[in-house]
Formats: sequence, structure tokens, C-alpha cells
Amino acid sequence: MLVDFNFRIIFEYLPLFLTGLRSTCFIAVVSIALALATGIIACACRISGVKAIKYPAIAYIEIIRSTPLLVQIYFLYFGLPTLGLRVPELQTGILALMLNSGAYIAEIIRAGITSVDDGQLEAGTASGLNYFQRMRFIILPQALGVTIPPLLGQNIVLVKDSALLSLISVMELTRCGQTMTSERFMPAEAFFTVAFFYMCIYFCLKALADWSQRKLIFREAY
Amino acid sequence: MIEFKNVNKWFGKLHVLNNIDLKISKGEVLVICGPSGSGKSTLIRCINRLEKIQKGEIIVNNTPVHDKHTNLTKLRAQIGFVFQQFHLYPHMTVLQNVMLAPVNVKKLAKSEAEKIALEKLEQVGLTEKSSAYPAQLSGGQQQRVAIARGLTMSPEIMLFDEPTSALDPEMIGEVLDVMVNLVSEGMTMCVVTHEMGFAKKVAHRVLFMDEGKIVETGTPDDFFDNPKTDRAAEFISKILTH
Repeated sequence: MLVDFNFRIIFEYLPLFLTGLRSTCFIAVVSIALALATGIIACACRISGVKAIKYPAIAYIEIIRSTPLLVQIYFLYFGLPTLGLRVPELQTGILALMLNSGAYIAEIIRAGITSVDDGQLEAGTASGLNYFQRMRFIILPQALGVTIPPLLGQNIVLVKDSALLSLISVMELTRCGQTMTSERFMPAEAFFTVAFFYMCIYFCLKALADWSQRKLIFREAY
Repeated sequence: MIEFKNVNKWFGKLHVLNNIDLKISKGEVLVICGPSGSGKSTLIRCINRLEKIQKGEIIVNNTPVHDKHTNLTKLRAQIGFVFQQFHLYPHMTVLQNVMLAPVNVKKLAKSEAEKIALEKLEQVGLTEKSSAYPAQLSGGQQQRVAIARGLTMSPEIMLFDEPTSALDPEMIGEVLDVMVNLVSEGMTMCVVTHEMGFAKKVAHRVLFMDEGKIVETGTPDDFFDNPKTDRAAEFISKILTH
């Protein structure tokens, strides 16, 4: 069986796969950055006492979390043009990943923040620290430590979910596998290579998370 | 120095502070006792506005605490607060815990804040623990750090909310000793506690609360030996019998 495995064809298609890898990495980096920003803002709104921003944030988070990503992608890809908004595939894809991951990240950060004991906040308040100082010195150093593992998990999910963008013909890693399969009909070789590259991204992200956790957990106060 | 004028507070339907009138003068040590749920913690938490009040007025050093134009940072810098559960910041060393507010609220230079912090740690007898983390300390030591943290802002008033209730019996003494020392320095103090020994030794006045009202006030000796009200007598007999 392994004898039939055609390594030569993988090398022949390597330039295509590298283009796909670059595209997937680009989608991942941009989406993760945007999703983190979205998540932080959504979380800040979610825990705010102001109803006018709290309830929209809850609605956003619940809508995203209760519907499949593929449906969200199709809604943006097929739905937006009928509403008069024409957005290219790549941007649509990034928008979908950003909105989807942002909702999950908002909840992860919220869990980290609420895990810090209220009493410490009161102690900070009593000694005259303002809201931002309490966030900066008391909550975030402790919250970051506990949020990094689940945030890493969410970002890995985002990278793998980006495979769904092949369904709206974004030329990324999975789409490259499909292309090779349809041109040469060698699905085993094609998707083995695709899987290998996803694994590479996974281990890079993991190394990054380990490093940042060492750097950020229990960081000094000043 | 601290004045309550007809203060009322509700938690939902519960009338937790009921027409409180109270004056605490400079250098006075006031002990507040009473059954749980009587409003004694709430009373002292209103002094630095950890709790809001719905009616009446509290004045600290001529500043109306619950006025919306009051500079809370400035007010809170004059008032140290010690909690029952210590509430130290677990991710910071003892020294960092004590230095956080002077550096960030008073904007002192680090070297200066460190000097003051070490002075206060010496005062509570914990200089050698300055680089330890809270989790490495006993309950009594943690509470003494919390007191040092309250003192670094050089407050004029110290509030204690059941400072020894979460401690093993063995460790109560070391915390009370630190507090007795503070009294001898002339600190104005409000202490919610049931430590009768402490009250008899240093308190100038004991205040007994029940159901949100001040039921009785008096000198410690009068209060514990000859309570005027039946409610206070019943309470004292209960804390004495164990």
C-alpha cells in the first residue's frame, strides 16, 4: 500500500502547496489579530454595566455561538451580495473567521477576568486604585495566565476552521489539496500533505503560546 | 473626624443601616460588635464608599463621602482598610503588595515607596518576608501584610473588618499585637470584632448593633460588665459561654 504512495507528485505540486500554506498563514494571522481585538472589545462590552452596549454584545456572542460556522460563512458569502454588499471571497472569509472566533474569545477572556477574586478588587479600590489600574495590576496579570491555554485552543480551532473557506473558493491549503485531487486524482497524497502543513502551523502556535505564557503569567506589577 | 448623619441603607428590602448617627473623633478607637447580619461590616464599608448609602450623609475630615463630586482617590488614600479574608494579591510579592498603592496612587518614586513599605513591614514584624509570596505565609502573617499595605498610604484612619475572624486561634495574638501598637501611636481606628480582650484593653468606646440600628454604646468596661439593654446582655452572654 505504502509502495503506491507517490512522493514525486507531492514535490511536483510543492509550489502550489506553498502558495496555499502562505495563504492559510496570512488568513490565520489576520483573523487571529482581528478576532482578538473583536473578542476584547466584545468582552469589555459584555461585562460593562451600561445596558446599551452590554445587550448587543450578549446578542452577538449568543448568535455566533449558537450557529454553525459554515452557515455563517454562507450567510456572508451568498447573503451579503443580495443585500447589496459585494465583498471579495478572501475578505468575506476573514470576516467570518473574525466574527466567529471573536465571540468565543470574548467568553474565554470573561472567564479569566471573573476567575479573579472580587475581594482583591475591593482591596485595590480601598487603597485608591482606579478602574484601569485595578485591571492592569490586579486582574489582567492573573487572568492572562489562565486564559492563554484556552486562547491557544481557540486559535488552533480558527486555523483548522479556515479550511472551510475552500468552500467559498478561497485559495488556501485545503483548496490546494482539492485542486491537486481534481487534476491528478491522488487524494491520499494531496490531503496527507495538507494535513502535514496544518500540523506545522499547530506546533508553531503551540510554541508561541508556551513562550508567551512563561512571559506573561504572574508578570511583575510594575 | 468621621461623622454619620441620619444614614440609611437598604439591600433590596433589607434595611441594613437604620438612622445611624455617630461621631468618631481623632485618635479614638471604636470597637463595633453585634450579631451577624446586624450591619456592622456595612457600616464601616460606607466610610470609604465601598458601599453606597441611600439616605443621610457621612463626613470624613470635612469631606462628604457620598457626594458625587468627592475625589474618591484622595479620600481613600486617607483611610486604610483591612479585610477579614486579607485579600492580598497572590501574583505579587509581599513588598510589591505593599508598594502598589504608593507607587500608583500617590505616584511616589519606587525607591521612596520601597523605603516606606519596608518601614511598615518592620512595624508589623515581617521585614524578612518581603520577597515571599502571600501563599507562602501563614494566615496571621498575611493579615499583618494586609495591615502594612493599609499603612503605607499613611492614612489617618484605619478600618478593620473582623481582622481576626479567619485566623487560627494561635495567630490571633500576633495580629492584635500589631493593632494595639497602632493604638499607642494615636491612630483613629474602627474595628469590627468580637475580641473582648482587645476591646477592654484599648477601645475607647464599644458600639453594639442589631438589625441595622445602634442599640447601645458605652465604655468597654460598662458595656461588657453592665450592659444597659437586654439585647446586648443576651449577646454578651452568648459570646462568653464558649
